[in-house]
Amino acid sequence: MAVYMVSQAQARQLRPNMTAGLIIVVGIIVVLLGQLALNMVLTQDAYHLRSLKLEKRDLATQVQILQEEVDSLASPQNLADAANRLGMVANPASVLLDIENDRVFGKPRPASAENAVVVSANLVANSAMGTVSDFTAATVASAQVSESVETPKPALSGLVLESGLIPASPTR
Amino acid sequence: MGTHRSLSRRLGVFALIVLVMVLGLGIRLVDYQVVRAEQIREESFKSRSITQTLPALRGQIRDSSGQVLARTVFRYDVNAAPKNVGSVFKTVDGVRTERTVEQIVAELAPLIELTPEELAVLLAGDSEYSNLAKKVDGETYNAIRELNIPWIYFDAFADRLYPNGAVAGNVIGFVGSDGEPLAGLERQYNTCLAGIDGQETFERSAEGVRIPTSNVTTQPTQNGGTLNLAIDANLQFFAQQVLANTVNDLGAQWASAVVVEVETGKLLAAAEAPSVDPNDPAASDANNRGSKIFQAAFEPGSIMKALTSAMVLDTKTANAYDTVRAPDYMKLDFAGGWIKDSFGHEPFNLTLGGVLRYSSNTGMSSFGVKIDKETRYNYLQKFGFGSVSPLRFEGESSGILHDYKDWDKMTNYATTYGQGISITGIQMAYAYQAMANEGVRLDPILVENCTADDGSIIYQPKQNATRVISKETAKLNLNLMEKVVEFGGVGRNAAIDGYRVAGKTGTAQIKDGSGYGSQFAISFYGLAPVENPKFIVGITIYKAVGVSNSLQATFPFKAIMQQALKTYRVPPSTTKSPDLPSGSQGEVEPRN
Repeated sequence: MAVYMVSQAQARQLRPNMTAGLIIVVGIIVVLLGQLALNMVLTQDAYHLRSLKLEKRDLATQVQILQEEVDSLASPQNLADAANRLGMVANPASVLLDIENDRVFGKPRPASAENAVVVSANLVANSAMGTVSDFTAATVASAQVSESVETPKPALSGLVLESGLIPASPTR
Repeated sequence: MGTHRSLSRRLGVFALIVLVMVLGLGIRLVDYQVVRAEQIREESFKSRSITQTLPALRGQIRDSSGQVLARTVFRYDVNAAPKNVGSVFKTVDGVRTERTVEQIVAELAPLIELTPEELAVLLAGDSEYSNLAKKVDGETYNAIRELNIPWIYFDAFADRLYPNGAVAGNVIGFVGSDGEPLAGLERQYNTCLAGIDGQETFERSAEGVRIPTSNVTTQPTQNGGTLNLAIDANLQFFAQQVLANTVNDLGAQWASAVVVEVETGKLLAAAEAPSVDPNDPAASDANNRGSKIFQAAFEPGSIMKALTSAMVLDTKTANAYDTVRAPDYMKLDFAGGWIKDSFGHEPFNLTLGGVLRYSSNTGMSSFGVKIDKETRYNYLQKFGFGSVSPLRFEGESSGILHDYKDWDKMTNYATTYGQGISITGIQMAYAYQAMANEGVRLDPILVENCTADDGSIIYQPKQNATRVISKETAKLNLNLMEKVVEFGGVGRNAAIDGYRVAGKTGTAQIKDGSGYGSQFAISFYGLAPVENPKFIVGITIYKAVGVSNSLQATFPFKAIMQQALKTYRVPPSTTKSPDLPSGSQGEVEPRN
């Protein structure tokens, strides 16, 4: 270690540049802060991603529950049982209308339970059937109420046209 | 100057100390960063990283209209850690509430169908694991989760659901509780359905949160494909309803119905009773978990006569007007050989139409044996007998068609009316399909294709067409078979208002040891409309109690054929059957 004597002017020259030092220090701080912010955002997003994944899982479960319910209601076993409970009978005597040639194929005949070839109630096993059609007085009544609310009122053909709706068919 | 020297000495000591420390740290650094670097990095990664299998979902099985017959769903095993069982505390708005174990048990027990006492037993002890319920559905899972019990946890796993139950269950097959396909199409087309499990590795923080950008997918998941069947689930259900009814009424061992679309060879329905519900195969007898249509071979009996008649016409051995003498009992040209009709009658003179209409064994064999054995054997092979169908269904039977060189004198006669040969329901249906399709037999289509998630086709079966008989023979033979339904004693019950129907009855004795037993396999195979055949419907009822003629097979035939014609909007016939002789003395029978 040695100590040197220098002139005042030389000493001034040797003094470190304040501005450059400041720029470097501030620069480092800015970069560090930026990195911190970026890290915070990424971490926050990681938590967000996790919560979205959990939500997705819950929704997928919900979809599955509803899908199974629809499956069950749409299964032929439920439909056959439901139709049977409503007193419906399949009519094997089908009648076809040929619109082009104006012809009727087959003879229309009313269906009767006595003449039905197959009993309508379900005979085919389905242990996956959970939800079945419900015809209790309460559900049927509520279904009718909601329907009467939503059914648009007929016999307003003149006005209906102006409101942009298709006029009701004149066929009665 | 003394001060200067002591300063230098102190500086020297300081530098030495710094040097030693730096050296020490450097050695450590080299040790960590270079010498043991690999090992340390691995340990650190292991403590943070998780490798997860991403299970591929098994594909769906759908019917011809896209109705889902099999799908993958999630089920949950409900487990508890008895060690941690205790009251649950919750603080809402500063108020701390306690739910005791008894309260929780009372809420949880009904959800998993246990009594509180049973549940309490499962929660006792201080183990880490106790299974409370297996395979609960999504609804129960959600309900239990809403109870917010910290010591309850779930294991989710993929399971198979068959929304339509036993509809086509015998054909679809089923999977085991471990997800292994065990039967039917589930097993045969596992390559299409299974998919490939994926794998990913990621790092996670101490709280278990995934560290962003650390994902490495080592193997992408490939979900299973969709298997699209030719089966029409609604028609299939209808046919199964009819058969279940039939089997119940007749106390039969089993019954089967096949519906084939003539022009395409598509198998629209392959119904059986008893059937298997793939959701719960254990509920069915082991014998009924497969498909009898493919797996059960039986002697066909008289339904074979329609085919022999086609051979006679095709070889020009006889035409529709030639007659043979057909007594009700006929001695054959070898010792102990005789043939008998199913009913007593004065000797008839029957045309081919008459033979079919009266289902005369003596008449049919008299026509049939005029063709040499080898030719008949070749026809039978071309009709599809003696070999498994191109569907190669699991455990499919080829039936038995002995080489013509091995036919003894009796077999030579018997094969003409369906004895000494055994067949499966699928073989007979496609032999009839050949006659209805202008003499060309198409390979059956049960699986239309297998498609990937993006709709691209991964697999599609090839369909071959085999010309068995000429177009003219086929048409004429259908007209003769129509006489069975127009005038036949039993066949008349298969008639459908408005449509021209052709078919053949069959009442086959069932081999019992070396002879024939007292029970029968009764059948009706037929088609409609005759002028432009759309569908083959083939019914077989096996070992119905006390039933010795084929009348009972005509009812399901009629019901199912009628349903097919109605479903597919086939317009009724506008033509009449041609006048061809079918009377007992070779005359044209008068229409009613």
